[in-house]
Amino acid sequence: MATAIAVLAATAATPAFAASGLSPIVPNGVSPNGQAIHWLYLFISPFAAFIFLLVEGLLITIIIKYRRSRLPADYKPPQWHGNTKLEIAWTIGPALILACVGYFSFRTLQTDFVEPANAAGDVNIHIVAHRYGWDYEYSNGVKVDSEGLAAADDPMVIPANTMVRIRLDSIDVIHSFWVPDITGKTDAVPGYSNYTWMKVDQTGEWRGECAELCGPGHATMQIRVKAVTPAQYQAWLSQQKKKGSASTDSATVTPKPSPSPSPSPSPTASPTPSS
Amino acid sequence: MATTLAPPRPKAYDNTFWKPISLWLTTTDHKLIGIMYMVTGFLSFLVGGIFALIMRLQLSTPNGTVLTADQYNELVSSHGVTMIFFFVTVFLTGIANYFVPIMIGARDMAFPRVNLLGFWLIPVSILVYYTGFFVPGGTLSAGWTGYPPLTELEYSTGLGTDLWIFSLVIWAISGIMASTNFLTTIVALRAPGMTLTRLPLFVWAQISTSILLLLVGAPLAAAMILLEMDRRFGTHFFATTGGRPVLYQHLFWFFGHPEVYIMILPGFGMISEIIPIFSRKPIFGYGSMVAALFSIVFLSMAVWAHHMFTVGMNIYVETFFMVMTMLIAVPTGIKFFNWIATAWKGSIEFKLPMKFAFGFLATFLIGGITGIYLSSVPVDTQLHQSYYVVAHLHYVLFGGSVFTIFAGIYYWFPKVTGRFLNETLGEWNFWTMFIGFNGTFLVMHTLGLEGMPRRIYTYPGGFGEEGWGATNMFITIMSFVIAFSVLIFMINVIWSWRRGEPAGDDPWEGNTLEWATSSPPAPYNFERVPPIRSFMPLRDIRMARELQASHAAGESGGGGGESGSS
Repeated sequence: MATAIAVLAATAATPAFAASGLSPIVPNGVSPNGQAIHWLYLFISPFAAFIFLLVEGLLITIIIKYRRSRLPADYKPPQWHGNTKLEIAWTIGPALILACVGYFSFRTLQTDFVEPANAAGDVNIHIVAHRYGWDYEYSNGVKVDSEGLAAADDPMVIPANTMVRIRLDSIDVIHSFWVPDITGKTDAVPGYSNYTWMKVDQTGEWRGECAELCGPGHATMQIRVKAVTPAQYQAWLSQQKKKGSASTDSATVTPKPSPSPSPSPSPTASPTPSS
Repeated sequence: MATTLAPPRPKAYDNTFWKPISLWLTTTDHKLIGIMYMVTGFLSFLVGGIFALIMRLQLSTPNGTVLTADQYNELVSSHGVTMIFFFVTVFLTGIANYFVPIMIGARDMAFPRVNLLGFWLIPVSILVYYTGFFVPGGTLSAGWTGYPPLTELEYSTGLGTDLWIFSLVIWAISGIMASTNFLTTIVALRAPGMTLTRLPLFVWAQISTSILLLLVGAPLAAAMILLEMDRRFGTHFFATTGGRPVLYQHLFWFFGHPEVYIMILPGFGMISEIIPIFSRKPIFGYGSMVAALFSIVFLSMAVWAHHMFTVGMNIYVETFFMVMTMLIAVPTGIKFFNWIATAWKGSIEFKLPMKFAFGFLATFLIGGITGIYLSSVPVDTQLHQSYYVVAHLHYVLFGGSVFTIFAGIYYWFPKVTGRFLNETLGEWNFWTMFIGFNGTFLVMHTLGLEGMPRRIYTYPGGFGEEGWGATNMFITIMSFVIAFSVLIFMINVIWSWRRGEPAGDDPWEGNTLEWATSSPPAPYNFERVPPIRSFMPLRDIRMARELQASHAAGESGGGGGESGSS
């Protein structure tokens, strides 16, 4: 009950704090996995608030009530050395709270943090991180190179309400792909692929940036994700394809698929569930 | 106050602080070595703090121009290395060096020369690290964690990274020496009657800290040497081809997480000494306090990968580390409730050590609670590497370690110098620090929740980042309140060292043996170690005296026999 009220209150308060610099809770993601994180954060909060208020309340009570200057001059404090029942109580109490938090975290991990099965109509994007930008390679050969601060001009365009499966690689150092308003971060580690996904439930544009220090240009390694309607997405894809083939034709006659800087054999490889 | 005469001090200690350097280079007195540790640690605190202030200036506005990206990355790395390796750990070793032998009734550490060597390795380690600022390419600029491949030669070409590696290897050797020394001292040199169950809780805390450092010091050195082999000798332990960068993270955090407890357990010990004294009550649950310490030691060895929830581990492995991390909250909670029960119904005098102890309880709690959020794997994928984590770790290390260190300083300064620290300056020190600290770091959580990553040298402040500038400006202003507080503290120490109010041997009515000797203690610590019948030998003596006095009063003229024998 208390949790439900807290959840409702916090959900109502979230937009008011968005981008204020003072948001008290994790963003409510626009993708189910981001929403699961938001829900878990809210689920933990009443416990956290309870422990916080209990302990700080006890401390303040002690400060007010048991100050020597406010006690009678002949006050003799009780010389307790312990109390087994109390000590067992405050061992088991926190353990029970943690068991709850642990259980729901594990459940969220099982449902939202494993790679969903590949279904027809899913969009597969292979993100290749490099110092200091991201290559978004779509499964049909379209490639967007988003470099540093120019991320706003070259967003990762995705269709709304569609499962977008992301495979992450890095060609140099460790990076971390993070768009806070969509979902949590996933590292791009050189040497192996990581997988994540997003299923954005609305059209819009969100910012993010690399979350793992990767060198002097780290702060410039911005991310922009733009969700559009499926029709707009198809139009954008064919436009990109045209642009891409035009540039390859005019530049050098490179065989398709164009050489990718990634260590992976083929940019069109579809992601497989991570283990 | 100035007219009050200081009590005569033992000759050997007169003016030693200004005596020729040779004394400081060659002394094997654990107390002088302890002071050297503490002075070194405090100087590092100042340097690390100045680094932080410069970084705060850079971040106070979007697109700041105080620092370049390279300079910022060097400062962010050096701030971490300095505070963790050269300040907190070193300062706490200093306090333990000074007080552990006295508290167990020993004359010195078990290996006095090893103790001196262990200390001098610390300045060497510090100098090696700071030399990095003066070599081409600058010092380490990959964060204090120094993850490869960024620290591999390909991406960090400068000598500074090698110097950091050497510095930490030397530091680890010094830490292993000190830990061995503490454990041997506590096992072998306890005074007659000082059984293990009568050890002060600060000594128990030091035992657990030493065990931890002994267990993880070598893995740190190993990780560093492997990285150096990669850099200069052509191996591929952590390289992308033939190696695995994540292996380094496992090795580093196998050291790095226990290191957090190395920095907080001695503080727990100090709080366990201070709260009973100023509440006029014995510690609540001595046995469960010791048990909690060792549960923390055990559990902290099995939580390291909670720093790596985003590297792409199997979810069952992640769950294991999540559960272990959550379990640590249980012994920590036991300690918290025991401290509260100790103060409950006490007769509490809010002298400065007690103020800082309560400041610690009030703030460290927040670090503990945010730790629960971070332990949940899904939530961690949002909060990891963000300013939320920066706020959390400062609540643990500043609200935890620094507040306990200040509590310890105010508590033991009278023993070390024979004088109190000035009360008025101390009050200013406490309140400015409490306000400045919470102002800086409480607000910092919100930046992380809005998606500001740590270790970025600037932010555009544009789309989706509205409001970051104002919040950062506020944080920067509050960080200067902390600096002001430290300035007051320094003035206080310098002034009180010579002119402070004389404290006498036992100003707080202490429970443990250090209050039985003179202030400052003679080089041999005790002329005669008092009898030890419990973990509070001085309280026993005091109560015996009271009992005698009341008996004497009862025999001579009746009246006032309420505290008679039970």
